[in-house]
Amino acid sequence: MEEFEDLFLKSLDGSLSDRDKEILSTSIQKDARLEKTSNQYLQVRQLLHRQEADSFGPFFAERIINHIRTVKSQIDYQIFFFFKKYQLAVVGIIIALVTINIVLSDKLSVKSVLGLEEIAQEEIVFIDLYEGLTE
Amino acid sequence: MDHNNDETLVEKSKDGDLHAFKILVQRHEGKVAGVIRGMLGKTQEAEDVGQEVFIRFYESLSNFRGDSAVSTYLIRIAINLSLNELKRRKKKSFFSIDLAEGRATEKTEDRHDLKEMLEMEINRLEPEFRAVVTLRLVEGYSTQETADILKIPLGTVLSRLARSQKKLQSTLSKYLIS
Repeated sequence: MEEFEDLFLKSLDGSLSDRDKEILSTSIQKDARLEKTSNQYLQVRQLLHRQEADSFGPFFAERIINHIRTVKSQIDYQIFFFFKKYQLAVVGIIIALVTINIVLSDKLSVKSVLGLEEIAQEEIVFIDLYEGLTE
Repeated sequence: MDHNNDETLVEKSKDGDLHAFKILVQRHEGKVAGVIRGMLGKTQEAEDVGQEVFIRFYESLSNFRGDSAVSTYLIRIAINLSLNELKRRKKKSFFSIDLAEGRATEKTEDRHDLKEMLEMEINRLEPEFRAVVTLRLVEGYSTQETADILKIPLGTVLSRLARSQKKLQSTLSKYLIS
């Protein structure tokens, strides 16, 4: 019985050798009980085997794509609002820095606003002197 | 080079091409639907799990290296999610009286449609056995492919198949032609 079961299962993949096929068919012919079992196994297999393609119905793919799009836009929205909280603070800091630069430079120019004001010749001499003294 | 093969479509999907991903969904929906319905029956949850399979696949596209075929990868996700759903159902039925089980038995005796009876019996198999039967006997994957998808040894597939087949045959013996 065990050999029959084993060979019968292997026959599913069509991997039986000629000798195995012979053993299987002989054992089925000799034993009426095995013949009945093998017929019923075959019926079970035939009934189970899918004959036609399955499907989740029309527009399944569209529903998936819509879901992905919705999730994507929700994530974008969340990212936007996450950073929006910090936008005001960043703008405030930039205004404060520009104001400090203008106040410290005593004049209004692009370089002063950016904090890139040129160093006067006297200041360069002073820096050289200072470095000479510290060496 | 085929511009519509799975590998190309996966690459395009990774770059955000949703049209390419839609083609992948349409191409593999049938197999995924067959496997999930084999595991869960024709229920609303089956479709929900089906959607979850493709969404999980989309989310994990960056990790998909193509070591296995897209269909194998999808079927693996489908089986895992179906097993999770079955576990969830089991937990749910543990805390509530499972009337469906009783009704199913009554129905079996009255029902003449052998195929439906068979499907009902498959639903009574343990989930791991059901997975093997669905892949091997319903969907027609080879025994080796079934073992690869489920990541279990070939011998385990064969023994689960033998036990399931025997159980189905003995339960439905009186309805089957001798």
